[in-house]
Amino acid sequence: MMRRGTAMKRLGALSAALALTLTLGACSQGSASGGGRSDGTTVTLNGDRADFADGFALASDALNDITGVKLEARDVPSTENYQQIVRSSLKTNSTTDIVKWWNGYRLQELARSGGLADLSNEWDKAVEKGWVNPETRDSFSYDNKVYGLPIYKSYWVVFYNKQVFSHVGITPPTTWAEFESNNEALKSAGVTPLFATQEAGWTSFIWFEEILSKLDPDFYQKLMDGEAKYTDPTAREAMKIWSDMYAKGWFTTPDTAWDTEAALFAAGTVAQVPMGTWRNGTFAKAMDESEYGAYILPTVKEGGTPSVIVESGVISMAEKAPDPDATREVMANWLNPKVQEPWVNEIKDTSANPEVSTKDPVLTSVLDQVKAAKPVELVRYWEASPPALIEGGVQFLGAFMANPYPENVDPTLEKLQQLADMEWANWKAAGK
Amino acid sequence: MTGSVTTARRAGATPSAGRRAGSYVERARSIPFLIPAVALVGIMLLVPFVATVYQSLTNDDGFNAEFIGFDNYVRLVQDPMFGRSVLNTVMWTVGTLILPVGIGLVIAVFTSQMKGGRWLRLAFLLPYALSGTATAVIWGFILRSNGALNQAFTFFGAIAPASGWLLEWPTNTIVMIVANTWQATGVAVILFLVGLQAIPTETVEAGTLDGASGMRLFWNIIVPQLKPVTVVVIGMSIANSLRVFDTIWLLTKGGPGGSSETLAVTMYRETFIISDYGYGAAVAVVLTIIVVGASWTYLRQQLKKG
Repeated sequence: MMRRGTAMKRLGALSAALALTLTLGACSQGSASGGGRSDGTTVTLNGDRADFADGFALASDALNDITGVKLEARDVPSTENYQQIVRSSLKTNSTTDIVKWWNGYRLQELARSGGLADLSNEWDKAVEKGWVNPETRDSFSYDNKVYGLPIYKSYWVVFYNKQVFSHVGITPPTTWAEFESNNEALKSAGVTPLFATQEAGWTSFIWFEEILSKLDPDFYQKLMDGEAKYTDPTAREAMKIWSDMYAKGWFTTPDTAWDTEAALFAAGTVAQVPMGTWRNGTFAKAMDESEYGAYILPTVKEGGTPSVIVESGVISMAEKAPDPDATREVMANWLNPKVQEPWVNEIKDTSANPEVSTKDPVLTSVLDQVKAAKPVELVRYWEASPPALIEGGVQFLGAFMANPYPENVDPTLEKLQQLADMEWANWKAAGK
Repeated sequence: MTGSVTTARRAGATPSAGRRAGSYVERARSIPFLIPAVALVGIMLLVPFVATVYQSLTNDDGFNAEFIGFDNYVRLVQDPMFGRSVLNTVMWTVGTLILPVGIGLVIAVFTSQMKGGRWLRLAFLLPYALSGTATAVIWGFILRSNGALNQAFTFFGAIAPASGWLLEWPTNTIVMIVANTWQATGVAVILFLVGLQAIPTETVEAGTLDGASGMRLFWNIIVPQLKPVTVVVIGMSIANSLRVFDTIWLLTKGGPGGSSETLAVTMYRETFIISDYGYGAAVAVVLTIIVVGASWTYLRQQLKKG
């Protein structure tokens, strides 16, 4: 009897454990990607930026005041895991109402899978109210329909350490020649002039993109669209300039840890960091406006067309959103200045709504520079070509950074072009 | 049931006859006990494996999947990055066989006899308590171009190598194998120590009486008796080296330009970074075949000999 009792107890314990496991499994499914309740008062949003949590909470309060619908944001801290979760859940009933994504080809890839809802109406209404620049429509569209609304508009600028600049006796450059003489002065003063690393993978494209777009914005656009070749003379010229800058010792070592960037910049070990204004929030934590500023990199050739790289995160509505009506309501009001103001002031980036100003002094100076120079706005490398081409491309650019010698320019560009030929063909074939 | 079998035995049946008679019943009785284990292995291992094999025959991109036959495998064979990845995996396997196993054996033998060896041993055992991730972070501080190793070079007046430790192939793969050795030697030391303690003192004494000493005693008396442990240590090393991921991912992300990728890293990159799930699954299948094949061949050969 006793044995039997023990066996029963064990069986009971096993069943309990099994039940618990299943319950926990179900919970984790729900918390990772699940849509949750759909009672018309709350819509769910999934993202990969834990640092946006406070911003989303403020936006939710504002949205609630306007529409009576709250926004419940959750996040998956790893971008890789996040993408995987969205890919596997977007077309199922366990998706959140809204997903955070990227614009350009990354959005197109998601849109053509059929998992996203058409937001053209919401976009058109926002344009009517003057809440968004209609010229940017293409970078949020696929097949002429809008599938995402911008959550920020980051300009790619060069952040510079003001204290180091004043110590060395230089000012932000307005010409490429000044940019070069500044770097020489910084180098002589024992400061590494520019931050660059291939350590994080994606960071390898930054300088290639910056130099190429400042050399010839039109060519950059064509290259990104697959209408020009990596082996064309302009791309080669950009790589030669990059190689030459390496030879002069202006960059940090290519294996510098990406997560040390902000600390190196704040300490003045590195004087200038090329980065999107979304990084401003991180810098603002350690420094104030008297300590750092930002400028748009000048054109390489005097009289060239000024340009600036622009990057937008987007929020998109899932086709299978558990609460479509409430979600559309939120989307229709997302670009409302009353929502955008608290949101961008919290995340310390610029809004895609031109009516929304910012309190941040560094961002204000960037917006002033954009207003004054009226540069051509170009989509960032990361979103400007099919994702597989970009992911493969940063590998070759990273390898170049490890061996940035003139003789390595042509082999790198040839590999990039081979990859481009293959991936453009794949992209076009998949779209049919 | 338990009672009836016991009674049958007590009734005078020979043990072998009893085993034969009860074998079907016993087997049948054991089935419920096997179900949890079989179900666990089936659900957690076999079903995903079959799913992965099927996925490798599709062009799955996370959204849609079409059956494309062996196209992914054809692409693998033609992909120069895959060749590099296989080469790196071989380097890891050979390196992990020679370094942690060899050094582990030497440390175990020396410290087991040495006075205060227990404390010395601790230095080699402690890193084993660290996770692979922590190891990679520590070695990142050491190996980067502005890291501790190059600073030490400069401090002692030597010139640090111009190309960084993690930036050139094959240096990056070799230094990562060394980093991994630092962490993985501990477990080999522990296992070899257990093996050493299991050697009867009589055999060693007999060997000594017969005039064996030093290296001869080591090679002819001690090493042969460590064989069962060595089989386990080498088997574990093979499997560990083939699936190494964390150290590489944190130190180089397989770069620059994929130069330090192993199959496990390639699998991860293709699947989760490029979102080419079908191709990633094909790499996973190849990796599985290599791991299972290598382990099975090795253990089968060793156990047969034993």
